Amino acid sequence: MNEMLDPRKTFGEAVIEAAKKNPDIVVLSADSGSGSGLKDFPSLFPGRHFEFGIMEQGIMGYASGLATTGKIPVFAAIAPFVTARPFEMFRNDLGYMNQNVKVVGRCASLTYNQLGATHHSIDDVAIIRTIPGVTIINPGDPVTIKKGVNAMIEHTGPCYMKIGSPKMPVLYPEDIDFRLGKGIIVKDGRDVALIGTGTVLSKAFIAARLLEEAGISVRLIDIHTIKPLDRELILSTASDIGRIVTVEEHFITGGLGSTIAELCSQEYPVKMKMIGIGDQYASNGPYEELLGKYGLQPEQIKETVIKFLNTK
Amino acid sequence: MWNMQKNTRYKHSGIQNILMDKTELLKLEITALKIRRNILRLIKAGEAGHVGGALSSVEIVTALYFKLLNIDPANPKWPQRDRFVLSAGHKCLVLYAALAERGFFDESVLDTYGALDSPVPGHPNMHKLPGIETNTGALGHGLSIAGGMALGLRLDKSPARVYVLMGDGELAEGSNWEAASAASMHKLDNMLVFIDRNHLQISGKTTDVMSYEPLDERWRSFGWSVRVIDGHDFNAIINNASEIPFEKGKPSLIIADTIKSKGFGFAEGKVNYHYWKSNPEEMEKAEQDLDNIEEQLKEKMERSGDE
Repeated sequence: MNEMLDPRKTFGEAVIEAAKKNPDIVVLSADSGSGSGLKDFPSLFPGRHFEFGIMEQGIMGYASGLATTGKIPVFAAIAPFVTARPFEMFRNDLGYMNQNVKVVGRCASLTYNQLGATHHSIDDVAIIRTIPGVTIINPGDPVTIKKGVNAMIEHTGPCYMKIGSPKMPVLYPEDIDFRLGKGIIVKDGRDVALIGTGTVLSKAFIAARLLEEAGISVRLIDIHTIKPLDRELILSTASDIGRIVTVEEHFITGGLGSTIAELCSQEYPVKMKMIGIGDQYASNGPYEELLGKYGLQPEQIKETVIKFLNTK
Repeated sequence: MWNMQKNTRYKHSGIQNILMDKTELLKLEITALKIRRNILRLIKAGEAGHVGGALSSVEIVTALYFKLLNIDPANPKWPQRDRFVLSAGHKCLVLYAALAERGFFDESVLDTYGALDSPVPGHPNMHKLPGIETNTGALGHGLSIAGGMALGLRLDKSPARVYVLMGDGELAEGSNWEAASAASMHKLDNMLVFIDRNHLQISGKTTDVMSYEPLDERWRSFGWSVRVIDGHDFNAIINNASEIPFEKGKPSLIIADTIKSKGFGFAEGKVNYHYWKSNPEEMEKAEQDLDNIEEQLKEKMERSGDE
């Protein structure tokens, strides 16, 4: 049984550790500090924490301005309110101005399960990846959240990281090789490539095991950096295996599957199946049941893969 | 039409406390004329542009780049420089005109306006031209970026200040009021905002389209220290801007009353010159108007020489 850790607490601890080493890190809050695991930041780093209240559009600009003076602003709040709501500020003030700002959408994807479609963010990857120069990180376990925070701080340029809310299993050892823009081959296989990202990566892990038990050899890949995409790994997988299934807690429109399809359809066309949420507002309910409604539980992923492999 | 009116309408006219002698004032007026000529040069190259708001803010921008801003054109990224954020990015013709005149780049760059990949686009791009601090154009962005700059400079204990130019039509963007609240909450008294209140926007009078009057009271209620001046009066601009912060612990704001398209007689105060698609006849009129201003300034110079 894997250890279960709180992603927001893990994120907050990683930012605090990084801030101890790097005096340029400042934190901006939209009444969102404690909910982002950063409750202790103001007392640990007086003068480096700025509260703005619930004004995410304005904060994007303030973050941009702070970055012009060499600061590394970290702005974490509820995912749709740092992506969809201030999209133009993200695009112009951070992207177009190429500012070294780290935006973190927490309680992302469907993890604000009960709060409904206003609070779900299953479009954030689709919209943010249209912004040139923005790095998009979607870690699937606590170890890669921590490593993702460090990599994001070391990288110069605008970043968007998304993390969930409920406790999530530790999938990787502490010494896992994590590099921005480089996918992780979790295990190799021949029959199908199963590519997961973010909050449902653990479901893909279990699905891969179930498929192996059913006699299907799976190459399991974690794409924690959706942009820039690991082109080399995706294209070699397309050519080695020829069948790709993507798993994401996001709209099929514009998400990880789309990103991979954009590449493969042009450079190495292969058969693909994308598991995610279709063209509808997601419903509300207990988190695990909600994932089940959209076919994101391991047994369902396994069945979808088998059906996909059986189609000509 | 042109000579500076000694205006008694404004409490903060700047007459009481003259920081400049007549020669310096005349020099600024000559510079303002050169900047208007540069704006016309840009229009000549690109055949069209947002001329109304560029011309209404010529005196403000001239005062900034030739008197107020602590900047070094040879070292445009100098960390201790004062920052200028053009929130109303469509007024960029006046910024390009002033930067060229101040020596940030060769004036011939102005002749590329409108051409493919020109470093002087229809809205400013910091990656294309030295001296541009922000990529504005979408309205309602500049004030929050400027606030972040002011916050960062204060954190570094820098003496540098942040100056912002906003339009009055722009104020309907709600993001400005987020930014204004935060600047006051964080006591950013190292920033000064000019509102170029030329009273017009694309659809008509600003007060008819979406009124934010009384503007001074509205900003005061957001925690700002506010003064209202004649935005074409160099003494008023410079004397007041030299007194910031107007109140310790508060961001400062100057509402500068101006005339849209100031300097081009045929277009002054007319709504349809927000964006001017030029024609040869009007180009000639504009040249003529600027020549007339030059004549008036020459006479003024001679008179001051006689004194």
